[in-house]
Amino acid sequence: MRILIVEDEKSLASEIKQFLEKEEYNCDMAYTGKDASELLSVNPYDFVLLDIGLPDYNGLDLIKEAKEYSSEAYFIVITARGELEDKIKGFNLGADDYLPKPFSLLELLSRIQAITRRKFGQRMAEIEFGNFILDTTKKHLQYKDQGIDLTKKEYKLLSYLVLNRNRILDRLQLTEHIWGEFFEDDYDSNYIDVHIKNIRKKLSKYDDTNWIKTVRGIGYKFEIE
Amino acid sequence: MKIPNLKLKSQLALFNALSKALIVTLLVIIVPWVVSEISIHDTDDILIQKLDQVIELVDSLGIDNYIDMESEYKTFGSYNILKEEYISIEPLDNDSLIDIIEFSQRVIEDDIVDYRVLSYSIQENGNNYLIEIGKSISTIYRFQSNLKRFTFIFLIVIISLTLILDLSFIQYLLKPFEKIVKKLKTTNHPTSFNYSPLKTSTSDFEYLDETIRSLMQKIEVAFNDERDYISNVSHELLTPVSIIQSKLDNILNEGELKEEDMIKIFESKKTLRRLTNLVRTLLMMSRIENKEYILTEKVNINDTLRSVIEEIEDRISAKELTLKSELNAKEFIFDGNENLLFTLFYNFVNNAIRYTDKGYIKIETLKQENQFLVIISDTGIGIAKDKIPEIFSRFKNSNETKDSYGLGLALSKKICNYHKIKIEVISDRNKKLDGKTIGSSFILNFPF
Repeated sequence: MRILIVEDEKSLASEIKQFLEKEEYNCDMAYTGKDASELLSVNPYDFVLLDIGLPDYNGLDLIKEAKEYSSEAYFIVITARGELEDKIKGFNLGADDYLPKPFSLLELLSRIQAITRRKFGQRMAEIEFGNFILDTTKKHLQYKDQGIDLTKKEYKLLSYLVLNRNRILDRLQLTEHIWGEFFEDDYDSNYIDVHIKNIRKKLSKYDDTNWIKTVRGIGYKFEIE
Repeated sequence: MKIPNLKLKSQLALFNALSKALIVTLLVIIVPWVVSEISIHDTDDILIQKLDQVIELVDSLGIDNYIDMESEYKTFGSYNILKEEYISIEPLDNDSLIDIIEFSQRVIEDDIVDYRVLSYSIQENGNNYLIEIGKSISTIYRFQSNLKRFTFIFLIVIISLTLILDLSFIQYLLKPFEKIVKKLKTTNHPTSFNYSPLKTSTSDFEYLDETIRSLMQKIEVAFNDERDYISNVSHELLTPVSIIQSKLDNILNEGELKEEDMIKIFESKKTLRRLTNLVRTLLMMSRIENKEYILTEKVNINDTLRSVIEEIEDRISAKELTLKSELNAKEFIFDGNENLLFTLFYNFVNNAIRYTDKGYIKIETLKQENQFLVIISDTGIGIAKDKIPEIFSRFKNSNETKDSYGLGLALSKKICNYHKIKIEVISDRNKKLDGKTIGSSFILNFPF
């Protein structure tokens, strides 16, 4: 997977690059719209992370341009200007997702993965752990042939943990993923813990394995050998 | 009684009609008097003319031709059969000079008839004679009433004609003005103003239109500057936060840290999050102040509340509270901004959950005498009565036990003001009624 990071803030661009390369994505960086335009015309990218607040370019023009090169890249638009989300969606210029700054790198990764799953379909959509199967297209969990009833939020939380298995997810990352921008000043709330408790209870009916490990003071980790 | 405000056109038309009515009233009072004066004056002129003719006749034919000195009465009298006019000549005993015109009654053939009589004395052959010429009042009246009728018809025709002309002219004259008003009415945002110049032959309206256009241009520039400023501030504040957050994410992701260092980094991320929320909320408030959110979405309030409930109900069950949802107001559609209204309800419900440890959260909509209400109430700790006025101020915390950064309710208040929604708070701290905590109720009254 090849990703173009278009971000005029060099230090942020390199952090994103470092993170994504660890996830085995190939990353190119462009600090200006002009560079980005050149790179887009030459290389085929799977994803473009585009900060639309570029000093020399209207980021949205870049999407238009890329489409003209018949690039098949997926665009994830990043902005710190706080443009209203529906406004960006309303531009209808082919941005596939939108992330307001600041975002967690994990959230960025999960958006990329979600688009990838959409793109490649069923092949990557089912994840197995033990005798459980998590179907990310049907948004559904089952044990052998038996469906397990999860609430929307529980499913969202579990799938996030499973998709980022063997990685520590802190409470903030989980909260951000589940409630998006809506959660505000309840930083020490235990809503995540309550959800985790309920998920554990539901899983333990079928299986004794402690899938979700607590990382003291930070968050949780879903472990699969 | 308060006089309702009228359109300029209606006011002019009203003034026009009233002034014409006033003129008609004055004429109704004055015309009969004028007409009777004119007709009397006219009658007098005729009488004088006739007198001259009679005197001429007497002079040329001699008085004897009219008065038979042999007869018993020694008078001359002549009248037509309808007794409309009469002429009499009779000797006068004294030699006083008489020259008067007056109303007076005469008996003619046993009838008493009202006349306008001209009496005039002449001297003929050394004797004094009195000539009287009379015209019956009924003929004068007939003439008068004809004149009156004609005058009134003429007046009515003239007045209605001028009224119609005036009204159509006012209509024509004010058309550009109405266009300007309409243009302003349809402009709900400086960027949506129609800058095409107005076609008008009235220089005042041209000037008005020009002034409004140039004002709007200035407002639009100021508005855009403000929007750019907010957007730049947002960028300047959030980009550094984003950089730090990504660095922290990467450090955590390396996974080679001691547990206590990881916790420290996580705590720093929490602090960053707090800063981010603060900046976002402040920006949202600035954007509301700058009227950047459109208010023309048809928002189904019950549906919006349902999405808030869907988003937040797990928090309610996590705290083992009961949710009572009574969305009873039918056809509760409100012109506003759905995102803002969502945030508004979300804040209130979230707050209710935060300050309630036992009991229920109730979300109600109801219609009551032409007003729509959204009521969010809880059985929580409540707010001390003297603190209620300050809960909507920025950075004031009503609750000493939990940390809050006091912007949630300030933002809610701003959203309410922006939508002209009135907020009423009923609450008291730790107050119990029938053994139950009364908690807080936030009543949102939607304008319609």
